Amino acid sequence: MFDVIVRGGLVVDGSGAPAFNGDVAVKDGKIAAVGQVSGEARHVVEAQGRVVAPGFIDPHTHFDVQLLWDGAARPALEHGVTCVVPGNCSLSLAPLRAGDRQQVVGMFQQIEEMPPEAFTTAFEWSWEDFAGYRAAIEKGLSLNVAPLVGHSVIRLWVMGPASQQRAATPDEIKAMQDLLRECLAAGAVGLSTSFVDTDENGRPVPSRFAQFGELDALCAVLGEFGRMLQCVPEFYATDITIARIDQLAELSLKYGITTTFSPVFDNASTPENVPRIMARVEEQFARGAKVWPQMQTRPLDLSFSFLRPSLYFARLPRWSRVLRQEPEVVLHALNDAETVAKMVADAGPDGGDKLLGRLICRGGDAAPAAMVGRTLRDIAAERGQSCAQALIDLSLENGLDVAFLDESLGHENSERIGPMLAHPLVHIGASDGGAHLASFSTYGDTGYLFSEFVRKGGHMSLEQAVAKITGETADIWGLKDRGRLQPGLAADIVVFDADTIDREAELPIFDMPGDGMRYTRAATGIDTVLVNGQVAYAGGAYTDAKAGVVCV
Amino acid sequence: MSPRADEPIIVAADLVAGHDGTTELLVRLRHPNGAEGPVVLDEETGLRLMKNCGAAGLGDLLGQSWRRIVEGS
Repeated sequence: MFDVIVRGGLVVDGSGAPAFNGDVAVKDGKIAAVGQVSGEARHVVEAQGRVVAPGFIDPHTHFDVQLLWDGAARPALEHGVTCVVPGNCSLSLAPLRAGDRQQVVGMFQQIEEMPPEAFTTAFEWSWEDFAGYRAAIEKGLSLNVAPLVGHSVIRLWVMGPASQQRAATPDEIKAMQDLLRECLAAGAVGLSTSFVDTDENGRPVPSRFAQFGELDALCAVLGEFGRMLQCVPEFYATDITIARIDQLAELSLKYGITTTFSPVFDNASTPENVPRIMARVEEQFARGAKVWPQMQTRPLDLSFSFLRPSLYFARLPRWSRVLRQEPEVVLHALNDAETVAKMVADAGPDGGDKLLGRLICRGGDAAPAAMVGRTLRDIAAERGQSCAQALIDLSLENGLDVAFLDESLGHENSERIGPMLAHPLVHIGASDGGAHLASFSTYGDTGYLFSEFVRKGGHMSLEQAVAKITGETADIWGLKDRGRLQPGLAADIVVFDADTIDREAELPIFDMPGDGMRYTRAATGIDTVLVNGQVAYAGGAYTDAKAGVVCV
Repeated sequence: MSPRADEPIIVAADLVAGHDGTTELLVRLRHPNGAEGPVVLDEETGLRLMKNCGAAGLGDLLGQSWRRIVEGS
């Protein structure tokens, strides 16, 4: 008697091999059989006309905090994600002394944009060491977690305030090595570091004060355990990124470790960026180094409101001069008819239709509900105004607190990005799940992979796309019992409709502690998700199953 | 302040989509040896550069010294 049989689906096993019609049987949380399975089960999932694949793995998230009250990392699980990697970009919630919590909360708020209540009311902060954090999240996991430990918090533990002031001494580096060993022994999948991130005061995070010898010493410890190094290089400059690729390659070769870096973007204004990065990555892989560039599937959207200065209007000097001032001054200027008339005129003879008409009113702020999700062109037509005038008036009517979205302005050319994602040395990831909550949705990149690059663009086969975010990801991260539908491996399984799997439109919801807002996207086309053999999501609803584990 | 002949200058400026959902400023620097390369500035740095240059629009950045990028940082 099996526990579960997923019956009659198109099995895409995560290896990249051709799909076949068959069944997947589950017993004791493991895959027991794949193929034509006879016998009975306590629970049968009918999968005719559906794909049966390994659960997706999201290798770049910031769910560290959310996992403490939401073991499903919603909405990650409903998108078919059965394993997340938190702790990226040098920041994790352990090891962390009680006295240092506020400092790290500030860093997390800078990245995650979570409301303060998330850190004060949503969980009991009972741990200091990594094992304690692990125990805290393990109480209620609905999906699996492979947590990184952050270089910045290791540095903070050892050096205190000096971690954001100076290089480490040899004794401090040795102490960091010992602490990293302790974290890896407690279940960390690797170490994350950053050369880019800042805290809430704009100061570089502690990892940025490390000299190369410090990172080298920590990678020696990663080598002892065979674990990962994740890195955020100076992605704003191609030459520096390439220099970091070379450094990561040296560390990979010296200590036999796997490294990954992100983000990697393709933009029309820097078309040479990805080709140059990939050329160097190919060279380093040819030497035997493992330096995996992580690339996100979704395009980059921009948003702005008149409440804060933005570069968005830097192409319109008069708008730029007005809107970069303090809000009270902006309000005063926008109430001056002569100023507004000149601004509207500067937006073009069409009243800004071409420049601004595509903007979408976002919601989640003071925007009237009836405006949310609509284009400025539509709103302006309804009001009988030009787009520029409607943008100004709508902002004025709501205390400037109306955000607008300009979609797909970067990393958006699917004809270029599709082949990049399909490149065998590109690691699909970098979703940032759980971060930038108040700025944009970081969920549904896996659905977008299938809708945009498999169905629409045909840049990769169904089997290739599944392998990219399951088997290949598990291999890169050393998750030995995940990522494939093979007997003996963990029964993380997603059943989905290949014709409809996608992400839905971005919407603001208020489900963060303290009724905090975040932007999310619901999933389309996901039928059932099993985590370690238990149904965690089915028929559009989460179950009570808490079968997730720290899977390192 | 005019740029010195022996230092990089800004020869192009454009707006790009930022990783964090903000608008960022891409400036292309031409070095004294003739080589050119792009640098993407986050929104705060980009706004500061425009202020440092007294620029109302992107065109006002052209010909400015790279030093203006780091002034006041």
